[in-house]
Amino acid sequence: MWSFYIEQLIVSLPFFFKGLGMTIAVSGLSLAAGTVLGFVWGIARAKHVRLLKPLLGAWVDIVRGTPFLVQVFIIFFLLPEVGIQLEAFPAAVIALSNLSACFICEIVVAGISAVPSGQREAATSSGLNWFQQLRYVILPQSMRVILPPLVGQYVLLIKDSSVVSAIGVVDVTRVGWLTVQRIPQGLLVFGLVAVLYFVICYPLIQLSNSLEKRMSVSYTRGKE
Amino acid sequence: MIEFKDVHKWFGELHVLKGINLKIDPAEVLVVCGPSGSGKSTLIRCINRLERIQKGEILVDTMKVHDSKANMTKLRAEIGFVFQQFNLYPHMTALGNVTLAPMKVRKLSKKEAEDRGREVLEKVGLGDRIGHYPAQLSGGQQQRVAIARGLCMRPKIMLFDEPTSALDPEMINEVLEVMRNLAHEGMTMVVVTHEMGFAREVAHRVGFMDFGELMEIAPPGEFFTHPKSDRTKLFLSKILTH
Amino acid sequence: MLETFNFRVILEYMPFFLSCFLATLWLSGAGLLGAFGTGLLACGMRIGRFKLLSRIAYVYIESIRSTPLLVQLFFFYFGLPSLGLRMSEASTGILALTLNSGAYMAEIIRAGIQSIPNGQIEAAVSSGLNYFQRMRCVILPQAIGVTLPPMLGQAIVLVKDSALLSLISLPELTRAGQIMTSERFMPAEGFLTSAVFYLVIYYFLKLMTHWSQRRLIYLQT
Repeated sequence: MWSFYIEQLIVSLPFFFKGLGMTIAVSGLSLAAGTVLGFVWGIARAKHVRLLKPLLGAWVDIVRGTPFLVQVFIIFFLLPEVGIQLEAFPAAVIALSNLSACFICEIVVAGISAVPSGQREAATSSGLNWFQQLRYVILPQSMRVILPPLVGQYVLLIKDSSVVSAIGVVDVTRVGWLTVQRIPQGLLVFGLVAVLYFVICYPLIQLSNSLEKRMSVSYTRGKE
Repeated sequence: MIEFKDVHKWFGELHVLKGINLKIDPAEVLVVCGPSGSGKSTLIRCINRLERIQKGEILVDTMKVHDSKANMTKLRAEIGFVFQQFNLYPHMTALGNVTLAPMKVRKLSKKEAEDRGREVLEKVGLGDRIGHYPAQLSGGQQQRVAIARGLCMRPKIMLFDEPTSALDPEMINEVLEVMRNLAHEGMTMVVVTHEMGFAREVAHRVGFMDFGELMEIAPPGEFFTHPKSDRTKLFLSKILTH
Repeated sequence: MLETFNFRVILEYMPFFLSCFLATLWLSGAGLLGAFGTGLLACGMRIGRFKLLSRIAYVYIESIRSTPLLVQLFFFYFGLPSLGLRMSEASTGILALTLNSGAYMAEIIRAGIQSIPNGQIEAAVSSGLNYFQRMRCVILPQAIGVTLPPMLGQAIVLVKDSALLSLISLPELTRAGQIMTSERFMPAEGFLTSAVFYLVIYYFLKLMTHWSQRRLIYLQT
């Protein structure tokens, strides 16, 4: 009985890999867009741009305080009402990019704040303007504090991407859901799905941990 | 070169600079001393606008520092600042630290900046350490790189905010040596420090600050032997007993 | 869009939303309790002396952390019946939430216990306190202070995670939005109302986090 199901599952493997490809596509695009946006927002928030800070702060808070599933539904069902026709894939990427940007924004703000204020003073004193300071002095140093949690956040977002299966995106979770209708062996089917996610996520988690260890060795000895 | 005209500053309710009037000539070396909290660091930080003032005027080379239209980039390029905590950029080598501003602010080419950088590091005695990172240098060496970083811009004025206070005793001299040479070459310098030996030897004038006021200012001979106010006498007695 | 926003419909559905709000609260609450218990158990196994138990706990924690909650939920929902276990949707949902958050709780508790400096234990031992006294009077009070904020953070995550239970047809806040969409074709009114309810819970939990951090300030050394 079990061997029959396993056979069926093996026959369906191409679908699972296609689904995995879709998961990687959605995640990859969203993480790229979210990282760029997250850095821009994070830098803007660190710079005390007067009107932007509270607005952005409120938006980030709302996105972090509501379930991602609800956000996906809102984007998928609401944007058509204001005239933007969306299919499932673009809606998914928009929702996940927004989620990524909000969480990455917070990581970037924390990273920039971690750079000692003396660095900014030294850079200001030599006449460097705000942009030059950020580019040559602040950002390079903040990357040590940003990188480990950033990779950790990527793992969380790849897992969150499974939620977009709810609006019909055929990612690996959705393939599992469709398959289990034909092959009623939930343990096998979703066990396989779980393994596929594990293969992507576990190495990234290990990478984040090792980055954290490497970057916690401080730059200077003694005086800070 | 530098002029303070009735300068007042408040940190919230706290009146930290009370009516400072001061004139510093080109090539003059002024040492400012005083107890902690007297406002001496604040005084020097107002010169390159690391701190703002609420009343009065500060002029550097006839430019109004605290004017909203002031070209701070141009101004700061002419003023070198050395911090108590060095504040070297840890992710760059000594050469990198020293050449960043010349390239980005003075717009020198990489080669020009590096040639100048090597020269200036040689001058402070670190010609053989140009490729080292701050973490690989001792405190005294780091502070000398910090001085070189200021000098590489070829400034008109060098400001020092307690440059040796964070150093272990055996490294203080190497930094004071560099500063002594600078003074002899005719650099306009304002130095906040407790190193009275340096003040006696190198300064043209010594100023004493207490509770935000510039209580006394006189050439070192007069300052140390015939201090005018009681507070100055008290401070000197405490600081000169060791 | 705002002109056509139908507040009357929301009022009409408000009793329904409120009952779904309560459902979310009790599902999350049950999940949280279960997670705390599971977390304590898993943590105990992980830092305990028996290598086998430690390994089992490690595998459990790493599997949960490397796979999405939705997959875990579907795993139980579609998988358990084939083992002969017929559970209600609610029980399956709570089980998934418990096991998922339990793994994160275990790590939070472990970090908390390991953050207590050895000196504390040495001081307690030196004054003659036995294991239970040490635990009760010295270790655990400090551990609670360190772990409370991250646990509240995990509570926030859990409430948001509970939204996934709508995908196994459990009546709760997100499902309310879905029903308003399918019955009345009003996704805006439905999901935005759900969002507002979630934000109420979120800000409440955030308030509790700030309050607890102020009360436990004596633990910041």
